[in-house]
Amino acid sequence: MTRLLGSTHVETRAREESVRGVLVRMVLEQAEHADSNELVLLEKALQMLLRRFQVMEGDVS
Amino acid sequence: MILRSVELENFGRFRARTIEFRRGVNLVIGPNEAGKSTLAEAVPAVLFGTDRLEKFKPWGRNVCQAALFFEGHGRTIQIKRNLITDEVELIERDDLYHTLSQFSGKAPLRGRSASCREYRSLLESLLGVADESLFKATYFFGHHPQEWRGDELAQKLRTLVSGTAETDYAEILDELLDEHFQLTRSNPWGRDKQRDREYEEVCQQLAQQGGVEAVPVFVEIDTSADIEAQIEKYTVELENDRREYEKGLRYIERIRRQTVGSEKIVGSAKKSTPTEVEVLPEGNKTSAKDDALSDDIALSEKLVAAGLPQNPPRELPELLADAAKIRQELATFQQPLSALNSREKKIPKVPWVVVACASAVFAAGVAIAWWQNFHFLWFLLGAGVCSALLLGWGGWLHISRNKVLAGCRKERNRLDQKKLEVQKRQAELSERCNALGLPSSAVDLVRLQKLVAAHRELLECCWKQGGLLKEDVVDEKSKNAEDGQELYQLESRMAEFETGLKQKELRLQELQLQLKELSTNQPLQGQAPVTALQYRKLELEERIAVLRKAVNLLAGAVDEFSRSHLVDLNDAAGKLFGKITGGRYTAVKLDENMMPSVKVDGRRWVSAEQFSKGTVDAIYLALRIALAKVRDDGRSLPLMLDDPFVHLDQKRLAKALNLVDLASTDGQLILFSHNSDIGKRAARERWHVVPLDGDIVDTTSEEEGGDHVGQLHLL
Repeated sequence: MTRLLGSTHVETRAREESVRGVLVRMVLEQAEHADSNELVLLEKALQMLLRRFQVMEGDVS
Repeated sequence: MILRSVELENFGRFRARTIEFRRGVNLVIGPNEAGKSTLAEAVPAVLFGTDRLEKFKPWGRNVCQAALFFEGHGRTIQIKRNLITDEVELIERDDLYHTLSQFSGKAPLRGRSASCREYRSLLESLLGVADESLFKATYFFGHHPQEWRGDELAQKLRTLVSGTAETDYAEILDELLDEHFQLTRSNPWGRDKQRDREYEEVCQQLAQQGGVEAVPVFVEIDTSADIEAQIEKYTVELENDRREYEKGLRYIERIRRQTVGSEKIVGSAKKSTPTEVEVLPEGNKTSAKDDALSDDIALSEKLVAAGLPQNPPRELPELLADAAKIRQELATFQQPLSALNSREKKIPKVPWVVVACASAVFAAGVAIAWWQNFHFLWFLLGAGVCSALLLGWGGWLHISRNKVLAGCRKERNRLDQKKLEVQKRQAELSERCNALGLPSSAVDLVRLQKLVAAHRELLECCWKQGGLLKEDVVDEKSKNAEDGQELYQLESRMAEFETGLKQKELRLQELQLQLKELSTNQPLQGQAPVTALQYRKLELEERIAVLRKAVNLLAGAVDEFSRSHLVDLNDAAGKLFGKITGGRYTAVKLDENMMPSVKVDGRRWVSAEQFSKGTVDAIYLALRIALAKVRDDGRSLPLMLDDPFVHLDQKRLAKALNLVDLASTDGQLILFSHNSDIGKRAARERWHVVPLDGDIVDTTSEEEGGDHVGQLHLL
């Protein structure tokens, strides 16, 4: 299964000094202590949020 | 990083022009239609591309291109763009003209190709900004600040502070909440909890069909990913449990073998021991053995009840007598040693302090007599005799004390030697006691001695029957009993463990079935049919859970970001606004919705909207410069101000120009204006002036020459 957490895209976003950067860092931090169910939920939530950020920026391919 | 020069070729009204800039404030001055705005817009157009080519491309020309040259941190960056084809050439070089990075390719404004991404990535790493709207919103000040007012200003600030130009996180948050509220009335944010939504309706329909859940209760659901995760978890657990179970089985088997083996050994030991049991006829052997065993156990129990060891050795009385003798001998040493200690304490010490003080007094008397010239010789003689007598007395005391102390030491050594010998014997006795399984401490031995004296007959009886055999028998019997008990406990625990293992296996099978069911989307044979309604319910529950998580995450990130970044922004904006207003207002604050307020009279916060237009412009300017400064991490581009002070009066204009001057101290600022007052100020402050053709300045004149042609003209 392809994982969003741990991908290069997420790592790049985590370095941003923005709300999005803080958001990704928070998710990564929570993922370290999450069990498998929580991890799946976190990943889906992050995917949803990043998608919406992209839509806002008009950068959806 | 500073913008060193801009080269324009067939760009707007410029045919072929190179404009150079410097660090600090640069003023581009010229009348209307001189090309100030074109020049200002050339920078973002070259960096990011433009969708207004017709504005820059002169009619009838096939070429429209421009180049920017940046400099700083020992590097130069050259970016050249053909605005018609959007072909970009970027070269980064070091001081020695070595190429550090390079890009050549198409990079249109809204391109999404790989080359476009590569170019933006390079821009981001080199200049810290890769987005036109973010650049314009952060570094570029247009002359229409009034377009950012009220909610729009707040929204713009939110996007800028969030690190992007077009993303308003509040809007995303609202969207997520709206979507959640459309799905269910069960929500933690308290909006319209009365009306049923899709989730509640699905639950009710399911209940009407005979489902279990009449009342919708939000629960985390098992989606395929969840099920997979659970299967993985159970598989790992089961593997570990199975290993443990096998280990347990092996251990129980070992215990069983040991128990059986020990029974055999006991039997053989009894056979090999020459007792009366052996001479008994075959039929009576078992009963005789049992009688002997029961007698031995009864005797052993009596000994234990009396507080004596189960198998008292025959030499026990002798050992106890030795121990008592040693104790007595040790006690005899106490008295002479304590007498010796008190004798040593009584030996008088030499009062050397008194002797010294007396000698000092005599010396002082002699000195006074000498000074007063009063029978000096007599005094000297007397003092000398007295001092000698004192010293002699002290010496005698010291010698006699040492003699007595030496006698005491000799006596103490003798006693210590004897005591050491006794202690050695005591240690040997302790070892013997330990070897026989007896206690070795003095208190236990005294207690044992009393018990031995009290139960002498019992001990005699025990010694007559022979203790060692009894001990073996009792030990083996009790050991067998213990082993049996342990075996029973182990077996019951293993049974429990096996039950748990089977339950986990069942759960794993269930999960695998569920996963199969979900993947095929078909109900399995023998299983309850899953309707589309149930699938919809599962989907809704998953969606709601994800939405809740997303809202919580985004709200947490906004809070965190506000805490860490808004404080800096407020501080910087407050300082700058204080400088513009001459200290009248010293603090600007952005609330959680990014609405600016100004501190008035040092105590009240007043919304920015309540101030005059000029003040609002000043607030806006302070916030923008503060934002650029807060975002600045050493790579920032120059601030570009395209006549932003048109609404300011003369006084405010002067303050704003001061602010501009301050903002440029660490970097570069390019100010575009047609205002001759600013031109005069530039001449006074020795700003770098770039005059554009028009009525105000004549740039064609080369007589004055040099870089300060504009300033000289203005002077």
